[in-house]
Amino acid sequence: MSDLNSGQGTKALPLVRCRGITKFFGGVRALARVSFDLWPGEIVGIVGDNGAGKSTLAKVLSGVITPDEGELWFGDVRVHNLTPKKARDLGVEEVYQNLQLCDTLDAPANVMLGQEPVNLSLGPFRFIDQNRAALETRKRLSELGVELRDFKSAVRRLSGGQRQAIAIVRATIRGHRLVIFDEPTAALGVRQREATLNLVKKVASQGVAVIVISHNLDEVFSVCDRIIAMYLGELTLDTPPSQTTRHEVRMYMSGLGPGQAAGEST
Amino acid sequence: MNKLRAWFEMIFGGRSGNLLLALTVSLLILAIFRPGYFTLDNLRVIALNVSSIGIASVGMALLIISGNVDLSIGSIYAAAAVMAAWLALSVSPPLAVLGGVLLGALLGLTNGALVWRIRVSPIIVTLGSFTVIRGMMVVLTHGRSIYGIPEDFFVVGRAVPLGIPTQVWTLVIVAVLAHIVLSRTTIGRYIYAIGTNREASEVAGINIRLFVLILFAVNGLLAALPGVLAASRFGAASIEYGVGFELQVITAVILGGVAFSGGEGSIKGVMLAVAFLGVMNSGLISLGVDPAYTDVVRGAALVASVLIEQLTQERNERFRRTVAMEDWAAQMKEKRTDATIRPRLEPSDH
Repeated sequence: MSDLNSGQGTKALPLVRCRGITKFFGGVRALARVSFDLWPGEIVGIVGDNGAGKSTLAKVLSGVITPDEGELWFGDVRVHNLTPKKARDLGVEEVYQNLQLCDTLDAPANVMLGQEPVNLSLGPFRFIDQNRAALETRKRLSELGVELRDFKSAVRRLSGGQRQAIAIVRATIRGHRLVIFDEPTAALGVRQREATLNLVKKVASQGVAVIVISHNLDEVFSVCDRIIAMYLGELTLDTPPSQTTRHEVRMYMSGLGPGQAAGEST
Repeated sequence: MNKLRAWFEMIFGGRSGNLLLALTVSLLILAIFRPGYFTLDNLRVIALNVSSIGIASVGMALLIISGNVDLSIGSIYAAAAVMAAWLALSVSPPLAVLGGVLLGALLGLTNGALVWRIRVSPIIVTLGSFTVIRGMMVVLTHGRSIYGIPEDFFVVGRAVPLGIPTQVWTLVIVAVLAHIVLSRTTIGRYIYAIGTNREASEVAGINIRLFVLILFAVNGLLAALPGVLAASRFGAASIEYGVGFELQVITAVILGGVAFSGGEGSIKGVMLAVAFLGVMNSGLISLGVDPAYTDVVRGAALVASVLIEQLTQERNERFRRTVAMEDWAAQMKEKRTDATIRPRLEPSDH
């Protein structure tokens, strides 16, 4: 996977920088001084137990949660009060675990939702260019190597893998800076899992930073360029997979890594 | 037969195919037993009779596709009729018509605002406004009908431009415009999107609140329009207008293939259902069937159409499950071979 890292040296600035991100929920510290960079074309796996702060971190990046402290930099711009809309405008997209597809609409309608190509505008009535929408969808899908013959069916008639591909393609259209995958393979079978991980790699190869939130260490080790482990809101490990082992990552995930305050061992 | 159905479905899509079949069969039966049924005058009467339900069902279809519903349209229909008739006593006819229609839009907008703010099912909210609007009408009119309107006011509702009544013209124009907006513009696309997945629509940047407000207002307007036209045609307005109107309209919409859960349906299908209901009503009468049976047939048609839909869906679901099981079996096989062929990468790692 090191070939995907090649972009890191050529660009001077990371796409996203987090510095000292801290978030409290009441008295609970969900994130504690989390700092890391995201580079173009990089796949970063975030692992951690339930409640480690993975999802909170993702929500900070997509503007859903405002951190109490810390700095967020998108390129060379420091962004204050990131909202979901602002995050989208900055090119941050999330692929949700439940995919968030409109089941009764077809694939092009889902992929282009909210950004339909228009060929005629009469006041508020903007006529959708159906051909261009289908063409664009086909192009995007084939860029990611997805075959989809059925463009007219409601997406609820499609298989789980195809639905996932549609959700991913939709995210990549707007997500030119960062695409966050929340447990992308949790609900998939073996073959679909492989296909989805390949999609994740393809998305990154287009120069986008990718975050994969996952429970599955095998997956993270096979697909990610960097692994970030979290424990009780703290970033405990940030390293390429070649420099670590599953065992070490597990230790950092459970607060037992070198230099960490030892918790009770199991 | 299957080929014929496929052909129908190509034209009308999905459940509308069944409806077109039913309409065709009804027309065939009438053609055989009552050849005299197909006169221009008779067709004009049928069209006039269904025009009120037709116009209102366009607004209701848009609303239900977006995942909402408005039970108060019967009250809005009556309120608009009474308002227009009352205004016509003192102001010019165009202003009276405008006043009635605006009242409808305003009542619809209020429904939308309540649904948006209260965040309960629109069924409950509009059930409330259904009662409130009728109650207010009784209070304001003291339960009296409005008569003695200057004859200028009757012109709109009784006009027959090019041999077709105003009501039918209105229906055609409204239906064609709604069809175009729903099937070809982003507004239509977002109405479907909101109805099928609200959260996803919000994520896609669609202003759901604005859509809901406008759809309720349009629905109110399209319920008021036939009310005003009825007041003009009859030259009077009574608070008894539009009792049971909402149920007839919702029947037509659901019969026309709009999913009550939202996200599905078309204006074509709804118009087909309106035509079917019109032909069935008058057809049964002309066949000499007791008029009471029309309600029976209408209700049965609704249940039958939903039943057919359900059975088709279950069949598709069974098919999909079979495919999924085969897929799963193939995966399990793959997994076993994976485990036997591939050595463990890190034996130390449990």
